[in-house]
Amino acid sequence: MVRKLFLTLAAAASALAISGAAWADITVLVPSGSEGDGLRAAAADYAKMKGTKVETVQAPYANVFEQAANAGATKSGVFDIVLMDDPWIPFFAENGHLEDLTPYFKNAGLEGPDNDFLSKSLAICRNPYNSGPYVCLPYVGNAQMFFYDAAKYKEAGVEAPKTWDDVLKASKALTEGGGGRYFGYVFRGGQGNPVVADFMPIFWSYGADLFNADRSKVTIDTPEGAAAMKMFMALRDVSPKGVESYNANEVGTALAAGTSASSINWPNWVATFEDPSQSKMVGKISYTAIPAGTKPGSSEIGHWTMGIMSASKNKQEAFDFMLWATSPEQIKISAERGNPPVRASVFTDPELTKQEKFRHYPVLMEAIQASTPRPRHPKWPEIENAFGIELSKAVAGTITPEEALKNSQTAVEQITGLK
Amino acid sequence: MLKSADGTLTAQSQPGGGLERWAERHLRYLMLAPTVSILLALTIFPSLYMFYAAVHRISPNPDLPWEFVGVGNFARLLSDAQFHVALRNTIVFTVVAVTVEFLLGLGLALLLDKYIRRLTFLKTVLMIPMMLPPIAVAITWKLIYEPQFGVLNEIMYRLGLPLQAWAGDVNLAMFSIIVADVWQWTPFIFLLMLAGLASLPVEPYEAAAIDGASSWRQFWDLTLPFLKPVIAIALLLRVMDALRLFDLVFILTGGGPADRTKVLSLYIYQVAYRFADPGYAAAISLFVLFVTIVFSTWFMKRMRLAD
Repeated sequence: MVRKLFLTLAAAASALAISGAAWADITVLVPSGSEGDGLRAAAADYAKMKGTKVETVQAPYANVFEQAANAGATKSGVFDIVLMDDPWIPFFAENGHLEDLTPYFKNAGLEGPDNDFLSKSLAICRNPYNSGPYVCLPYVGNAQMFFYDAAKYKEAGVEAPKTWDDVLKASKALTEGGGGRYFGYVFRGGQGNPVVADFMPIFWSYGADLFNADRSKVTIDTPEGAAAMKMFMALRDVSPKGVESYNANEVGTALAAGTSASSINWPNWVATFEDPSQSKMVGKISYTAIPAGTKPGSSEIGHWTMGIMSASKNKQEAFDFMLWATSPEQIKISAERGNPPVRASVFTDPELTKQEKFRHYPVLMEAIQASTPRPRHPKWPEIENAFGIELSKAVAGTITPEEALKNSQTAVEQITGLK
Repeated sequence: MLKSADGTLTAQSQPGGGLERWAERHLRYLMLAPTVSILLALTIFPSLYMFYAAVHRISPNPDLPWEFVGVGNFARLLSDAQFHVALRNTIVFTVVAVTVEFLLGLGLALLLDKYIRRLTFLKTVLMIPMMLPPIAVAITWKLIYEPQFGVLNEIMYRLGLPLQAWAGDVNLAMFSIIVADVWQWTPFIFLLMLAGLASLPVEPYEAAAIDGASSWRQFWDLTLPFLKPVIAIALLLRVMDALRLFDLVFILTGGGPADRTKVLSLYIYQVAYRFADPGYAAAISLFVLFVTIVFSTWFMKRMRLAD
């Protein structure tokens, strides 16, 4: 009896394992949140239309990188496609985890992605940046914008913030009058990726950067970097207490609840701010380009892109799906599902632009075209961590801004082996 | 059942025949085989693999061979500032959290054992935090500590006290993590101490009372020595657990602000998965294992010697 039970269980387990492995024609690793939800919905549509079974595996942001890196390092082939944040591309491409898409375009009778994609969206999908072969296709057109409560800014004497000085002036007045419960500015000060992401646009707008043009020298500790850091610290002083631990959710909630007047943010938050069930600020938040410092403002680009894993056993099927999912029709559907587009035709589609919830599209399109990518380096996760620790220390006040720049310079030099 | 032409049973069909007899003879191995297989696959093999990985530089590029570096990864520990920060934070957390948990757990056990022995419901309620998944505890405390909307700051506001950043303030972040850990694991110490107190002999206390020993004297000279084995096990288990703290830090602070809560487990995770350097992560893991073994051995010996 017991033996029969064991045999039955073993047979059932084997059958499950085999059917599980054979269930999907292609498997896609996607992040949690609207980006992953959008591609998951598209995968379901694709399965219905084409009869190809697409399984989506959804994981939190950081785990997508870890799972894809693990799958790449072990050549497991468990994922055919990974939906990547663009700064990860050099790591995956330069470690041989991503497939060069050139032959697949040729097989499809194409020279490459069509010209309807925004040029900056395509540039990040080539490795090296904007010059190498395509290793992915852009899917979600994220680039930072500046979000602010125009009425509050007006009260503070600033009509529309054009420079960081304007932002500081309005934020200072609003925080001083907020009685400790209302703040002029809020940002992601959490150690690592959050604080770096919200500092980089300020860094760039003062003419600073992590590396020189040919990536042969670390250039963090410079007069331009010091000017950017000075503004960042001034903005910290008008932000809520505890901002040094804030991530996207805390910043988004502060804006949606109307307890902070402005921040740098990502466009996929627009849907939340314009949803009456989640926001007290429907129709009250204005969207504009990143303010200027001593140089024109520049957004950080943060596109989600689809690449084929080198160890995939279904590469052609994966490419066919990617080509379909990034077509103008599908990018428009994706936009309607809340994901910013990557195609000019969708950004300017009257059916979308006449709707209130897409009123930020002209600003976003401009922001993408004026965006800057995070430094393209295969060790970016380690660089971002080191820079993020020093920025976090400066925000928390345990070291001076000058020390933060000096320490960051040394740490990044050690990681990259550059001087 | 098979029968021969003359109606007698064949050898194969008789009880205790070939396969069945073999199975009977090797039953103990067959019964152990699944457990041993799982142990080999999930514990023995990964442990050996970790030793092997710790002496290699492993590229995230699968086409590049592993490079033998000998003790190179261990030597890196000496000059790695982030490792030193994580080690210091881990020690601070372990010492403070386990001490507070021990004192509170012992105090509660003495209180409940002596004065409210029959309140089993209260004892059950006190044990609830220990039964919750650590991730649920971490998320709950994250909501409590939330600076703008958290219940703790709401109370502070209503009391007219200054609002705090709790998990976001460099001076409060480690304290906040310790409080959450104490809330969850004090019941564990409490439970062990309560079991220890329940098993104490009555006679020595009666004799002490006749001799006029005060309650404090009885506690110091009788209760504590009797409880020593239980205390030793409780502290040992808690120290070993505290050394591998991860969930609370990962959810509440991510190691920040300003690296104030970065602990060794979090750093190992970052090195292995974020920086794709599993060789160095294996070396740090072995260091933690070494420290844990050395401490456990020293502690056990000391307790036995004292006995």
